[in-house]
Amino acid sequence: MTIDKGDSPIEFRLDPSSGVPTYLQLVQQVEHALRLGYLKPGDQLPKVRDVVAALTINPNTVLKAYKELEIKGLAAGRPGQGTFVQATLSQITLPELGGLRRSMLGWLTEANETGLDEDGIVALFTSVLRDFFKGRQGARGQGGTGRGPVGGNETEGVA
Amino acid sequence: MSVLALPAQPVQGAAPALRPVPWQRMIWVTWRQHRGMLTSVTAVLAAVSLFLLIAGLKVHHDYTALVNCRTACGAMNQSFNNIDWTMGNTILILMNLAPALLGIFTGPAVLARELETGTFRYAWTQGIGRLRWTIAKLVLLAAVITVLAWAFSQLFAWFFDPFLGFEGMNVLAKTVFDTRGVDFAAWTLVAFAIGAFLGMLIRRIIPAMAATLGVYLALDLLAWLVLRQDYPVAIDTTNASLFSGPNTPDSPWILKTWTVGNTDWWRYIPVSRFWPMQFIEASWLLILAVALGAATVWLVRRRAA
Amino acid sequence: MNVIETTGLGKCYGKAWALRDFTLAVPEGSLAALVGPNGAGKSTLMNMAVGLTVPTAGTVTVLGGMATGSPAALDDIAFMAQDAPVYKNLSVADMLHLTRNLNRRFDSSAAASRLADLGIPLKKKTGKLSGGQQAQVALTMALARRPRLLILDEPLSALDPLARQDFMATVMTAMTDDGVSVVLSSHALAELERVADYLVVLGGGELRLAGEVDDLLAEHQVLTGPAADADRLAGQFSAVQVKRAGAQAHLLVSDGGPDRAVPPGWESHPVGLEELVLAYLRPAGGGARPAGGGMSSAVLPGSRTELTEVSK
Repeated sequence: MTIDKGDSPIEFRLDPSSGVPTYLQLVQQVEHALRLGYLKPGDQLPKVRDVVAALTINPNTVLKAYKELEIKGLAAGRPGQGTFVQATLSQITLPELGGLRRSMLGWLTEANETGLDEDGIVALFTSVLRDFFKGRQGARGQGGTGRGPVGGNETEGVA
Repeated sequence: MSVLALPAQPVQGAAPALRPVPWQRMIWVTWRQHRGMLTSVTAVLAAVSLFLLIAGLKVHHDYTALVNCRTACGAMNQSFNNIDWTMGNTILILMNLAPALLGIFTGPAVLARELETGTFRYAWTQGIGRLRWTIAKLVLLAAVITVLAWAFSQLFAWFFDPFLGFEGMNVLAKTVFDTRGVDFAAWTLVAFAIGAFLGMLIRRIIPAMAATLGVYLALDLLAWLVLRQDYPVAIDTTNASLFSGPNTPDSPWILKTWTVGNTDWWRYIPVSRFWPMQFIEASWLLILAVALGAATVWLVRRRAA
Repeated sequence: MNVIETTGLGKCYGKAWALRDFTLAVPEGSLAALVGPNGAGKSTLMNMAVGLTVPTAGTVTVLGGMATGSPAALDDIAFMAQDAPVYKNLSVADMLHLTRNLNRRFDSSAAASRLADLGIPLKKKTGKLSGGQQAQVALTMALARRPRLLILDEPLSALDPLARQDFMATVMTAMTDDGVSVVLSSHALAELERVADYLVVLGGGELRLAGEVDDLLAEHQVLTGPAADADRLAGQFSAVQVKRAGAQAHLLVSDGGPDRAVPPGWESHPVGLEELVLAYLRPAGGGARPAGGGMSSAVLPGSRTELTEVSK
């Protein structure tokens, strides 16, 4: 069965084993596409119908993802036409990235010296990461992924 | 939290959807679903009718020749007896079984098949609803089968007429009475109604067919031995002279005799009462068929998955 | 509006209760998945929702308070029973014609074009079609009635993976295009996570769990930690399921959630839908299975009832 791809530059795919909720995967893929330049402001996001037909997922899930993107200010729906990209993600500047990289290396050295191997470090990091964002989400109330908006419509992300 | 506005507008508002589904729709439905059964029954009746037509012409011809025979009639008589009458008698027997056969091959299948195959889960969840569906089917099929049966019995009556004279049989005799007038059609209707009802009650076709045969025969016996004695067409008399002549098709039909003191009584039905008797029997059979139909509809209403 | 609403619903066959004390509200616009073992009462519930059976106890209404089996309900609800019963000696075209005759509303052209897209020949007898094709024909007819609610009893059980994909894609598309609400029962838990946004878990004729999938997954977590502490913690958290080995134990808890602090020495993991459903399907108060070096599990009594959720 061929799927009409419509007018969107991107197409979604699902990773069922990732443990990440479906709607979140869609949100992340849009953000990822924005960062990498696949999507620019004004581009149309895939039509709900096309996503549903291609991935066999619940339309409410797609709507939820698009709503989330709306809340983040990244996309906006035009009635009868679809959902369109509204803004872009600010890139982290190179010096900022460099600084984060250095502090991370420091922590890794410390963890390694304590005796954690690679898998141990990954497990610890993942657990703390999850707790961190869960905490943020709890503080913010329901919905969303817990990343508080910074400034106007822009959100931080790691390139 | 869950329901978000859907971008596409549904078609829902388009249909007025207040008129009920019209009855006429069921004509095509009934025809298409029972096409096989209806065409088989029609084909069989048509084939037999063709035979009756051809054979009947011969029988009539032979009988006329026999009646007009002046000399050396013995051989002709013998021939008529051995060939025509044997055939006629056989068909008479089959004709008496025919309502039951028609009933068991048409009645149970209507509802029991849906229950057996599970298709009732489709049929009874459609917009028309199970009651209209059932009523329409039963009425349409009953009407068609009854009309076919009536036409067929008229042809048979014509076919068999010569034998009444030949054998001196009376039209009020059970085996003859049942196969002509409106009686044959009425018994066929009742057989269908019994079949449909038992099909719905028992929910399996083959057992329902067997049960239909049993119930029909019991009813037949009841009508013959008990009910017919008491139709208000009989006359009680002590006049023995009525019964003295030879047996002709128009002789009075004796139901029973008894003696009171020194007098012999006869209860009999004169031939003139043929049609009243037909209508009495057809009426109660019709009422019974309608009652069975109502009971069938009631079962459909009640039945749980 | 709730597409299906039941209060204390029960159905008794002879002496056995197929469904008992069942209170549920399925919201509009969602796909509600009924899961549970065979004989759990899924078919019974669906049969009552479409009017094929009547309740022995309690009430059930559909589409915002309509009586089940009433002409209005029959109009707006399309049902596909298990094994997609169609008249096997009729052609596909005949089945379409039949369905058109039996309903007030039927979109013949949409049905015909859908079947053409699927490559199903109209002249072929439905009995000669493959299982997947039969299911698609039944679904096409159901959707062509433009229902507001689609009820599917184990639609995928006889289908191969590709046929399942096609089938569910059709259902999802109908949800998108026409706003159809869907209630379906299935054993395929892994696939349900993608498509279901409302979950109903049945076991032994009783409701074990019901609620929006996202909420349920967010509110449950697995706590992993020392087995010695397991019982104390299980009581504190009202654990749904405890799995313990010698030194380690896993607790599936329901009022965890992001706000509940993870006790020190314990780790928290998110729960998948399959794991959640299986935990609630285990019979209540069951004793621990013999350890023999493996894991033993038990569901603590009293944990079920607190977790029954009804959508507001």
